[in-house]
Amino acid sequence: MPSVMLAPTPGIATFLKHLKHNPVDASIENFVSLLKRRQIRSSRPCAIATTHLLLKVVATFRDRDVAKLVERIRSVGQQLIAAQPREMAVGNIVRRVLGLVREIAEDDADENPDSTSMGDSGYLPYSNLEPSGLPTHFSNFSPPKHGSALPQKSGLSQSDSNGGDDNSGQGAVAVEKQLDRRPPLLTSHTSYVASAMAPQVTSLFGLLSHPHTPSPTATPPLGTQSPVMKPGLTSRVLATIPDASAAKVDIKAEVLEGIRELLDELDQADDQIAAYALDHIHSNEIILTHTSSTTVQRFLLAAARKRKFTVIHAEAYPNDYLETHATIMQGRQKSAVGDDEDERWSPLTALGITVIMIPDSAVFAIMSRVNKVILSPHTVLANGGLVAAAGALTIAQAASVHKTPVIAVSGVYKLSPVYPFDTEELIEYGDAGRVAEFQDGEMVESIEVVNPLFDYVSADLVDLYITNLGGHAPSYLYRIVADHYRAEDVNL
Amino acid sequence: MITTGTVLSDDGFDIVKTYNGLLKEDPELTMPVAAIESLVLALSHTPASTVSETLDLLSTLTAQLKRSITNPISLSAGTDLFQRYLITTLTRPGQGARGDFDQIRTHLIRNGQLFVERAKEARERIASFGRHFVGDGAVVLTNGGSRVVGALLRRAAETCEGTHSGGGTIRFKVLYVTASGTSDDSEAKETISALRARDIPVATIPPTAIAYSLSMVTLCLVGAEGVVENGGIINRLGTYQMGMLAKSAGKPFYVLAESHKFVRLYPLGQDDLGFQQTVVNFSTQCGQKDEQDSHPSDGGVADLESKRSSCSGGPAVPSRFDESVDYTPPHLISGIITESGVLTPSAVSEELIKIWF
Repeated sequence: MPSVMLAPTPGIATFLKHLKHNPVDASIENFVSLLKRRQIRSSRPCAIATTHLLLKVVATFRDRDVAKLVERIRSVGQQLIAAQPREMAVGNIVRRVLGLVREIAEDDADENPDSTSMGDSGYLPYSNLEPSGLPTHFSNFSPPKHGSALPQKSGLSQSDSNGGDDNSGQGAVAVEKQLDRRPPLLTSHTSYVASAMAPQVTSLFGLLSHPHTPSPTATPPLGTQSPVMKPGLTSRVLATIPDASAAKVDIKAEVLEGIRELLDELDQADDQIAAYALDHIHSNEIILTHTSSTTVQRFLLAAARKRKFTVIHAEAYPNDYLETHATIMQGRQKSAVGDDEDERWSPLTALGITVIMIPDSAVFAIMSRVNKVILSPHTVLANGGLVAAAGALTIAQAASVHKTPVIAVSGVYKLSPVYPFDTEELIEYGDAGRVAEFQDGEMVESIEVVNPLFDYVSADLVDLYITNLGGHAPSYLYRIVADHYRAEDVNL
Repeated sequence: MITTGTVLSDDGFDIVKTYNGLLKEDPELTMPVAAIESLVLALSHTPASTVSETLDLLSTLTAQLKRSITNPISLSAGTDLFQRYLITTLTRPGQGARGDFDQIRTHLIRNGQLFVERAKEARERIASFGRHFVGDGAVVLTNGGSRVVGALLRRAAETCEGTHSGGGTIRFKVLYVTASGTSDDSEAKETISALRARDIPVATIPPTAIAYSLSMVTLCLVGAEGVVENGGIINRLGTYQMGMLAKSAGKPFYVLAESHKFVRLYPLGQDDLGFQQTVVNFSTQCGQKDEQDSHPSDGGVADLESKRSSCSGGPAVPSRFDESVDYTPPHLISGIITESGVLTPSAVSEELIKIWF
């Protein structure tokens, strides 16, 4: 009897199906094993899978305590990251969700101050003297705070009630105690910080700011008064106390809403990036790119509708060349994710663009004729550097010799807040058999063959990052990291 | 007018003496923090009752302090920060002036020690964070007597608790650039001996050997007296050289600086530091004419110019090399490690803007 059903290849599609029908913990296990076996690879599928998983984790979370939710997400995150540390997208999504939860909890705490501690000492700045080891933050939104990896001890955020309510009776509220209460501080000068959060005071004043408040009924500590703080706070406290319990239910719903927005962002990232294509690609330009990246292809397709240019495509042998050939010839026919509609796109040649495929060794030779290089990174690092498919460093160095602009296109979800102390660790190694076949006995016996899958390209070789938020210089990425991630989440 | 140390005397509070006294008492103190401390002590000794009086007093004292020191950059970081802090907190709209002022004043005076503690803590944080940069087998190149660098290297050398001394988990070596090429240079002496006591191999080289040894170097770490607006640094003479060589050899060059060292200065070159320092002294056999290398205003009348300037005294005195500083531009710096993490040079100006505007 001919076998009827071939088991589908394990990958993101099977994972999402599994997620629908199985309990959360089983799904976590499934995802971990998919990551370990590299059956789910590359940033976008990992990010999507992580987001769906966290959606389910939050949805099935029974407790009302926000701190416990944070802890739950963190432990799931730790498992996922440990499974495949080089898939930074997984960690990025976990940190985004954590930041989301904290933000919602704090906004909620702002509006529903249901403890005496909220009165004013909630706005304590930096209780550095208190015995809890090192102080946590000076300011929370200034670039240094979030700029890159931060010297955070992960345990601190849990065990000590920092940045706030030390001296006043804050034992009552689990939220404020456990979460890092970020006092919404403001100087009149920080108005340009556009964010949903309450604006923060600057870190340089951290040296001098007030360590504690005298009494709960006094005016807020000097140097920390926030105009955001409502004058009639006490009356509001009284008015909203009955609503406190209702607020907690909303937190979960808001978090779920936020995660769904994150999913939307992941879906739309490519389209938003492609919207900038016309600004950067002009007629009769020669663009160099490599690998079969969807983002780059859609970027070029968006420009191809209005402009005529030439693309030189390096084939990325030995790891990606078959997909690259397929991409050039046929575009993308089927998707691996879910719904097919958005995922099908025609090849550039169908729109009349000339595509020249070259072997990777020809990159330097051809570089003098190239106007722009477009790379698609696997991960973007907080120092402005990036990790991209092998071959990217050669291309970037050749481009810098010829002073050709190098543009990296990636969604913000690929931007990792972790500072790369050791860039060697970020490189994943793949099947050496692709370089020198195992059948070639002499080669295998006498030569050590390595097949790095990625290259680290340092920040000074990249000229522009185009993300779904627009174009940025590599030196500006620290701001984006600051806007999207929280300091306390960097070390999970 | 004789002032006795730091005690309030009849005629006034001697801020310069206080400042110098503080620096002498506590060798771990950095110049900006000592400046802030002396200003705080000034506040406590002088009963000012209004905001403007206080700010006025502070600017007078600050000017006095800056005049008395040849290189006021580092301490001006502290004084500027303090002034801006007061201005920001005191002139905040919607606050009752009187009551808050007293509160701030009390807070500042009572917590003088607190600032010092925090500043030292900042150093420890930088050390504990930055030590990840020193990996196994690394060779670190450094110069000067920076206490932050010393703290970081000591931290990196430390073993886990309870194990025997020496034999840390990270094995690294240190290349110390000293003016003389030996460790007799007083600035770095303690750090070098402390490291050697912990079994870390330390080699001292003269500045002439930097390029020679650069091939074995993994990364360069230096401290800073001041971090300027564009992300460059002011540090001991020789840092710029190290930076240039490191850049050309492709070695990362990291600066360790606490965030209270950010100063609002934008030097356009080595001559633009805001104070006179004569490192380069041309002389000839006949007449020992000292030519000023800065301000060649009247190009055609060079001789007259130099004669006149040597008559004026003052700036014609050559600076000591071991007290001179230079400016390292930001494009040579890979990252500035502060207590809040690693900043790119472009993040520095943003921080400064936030307190100044």
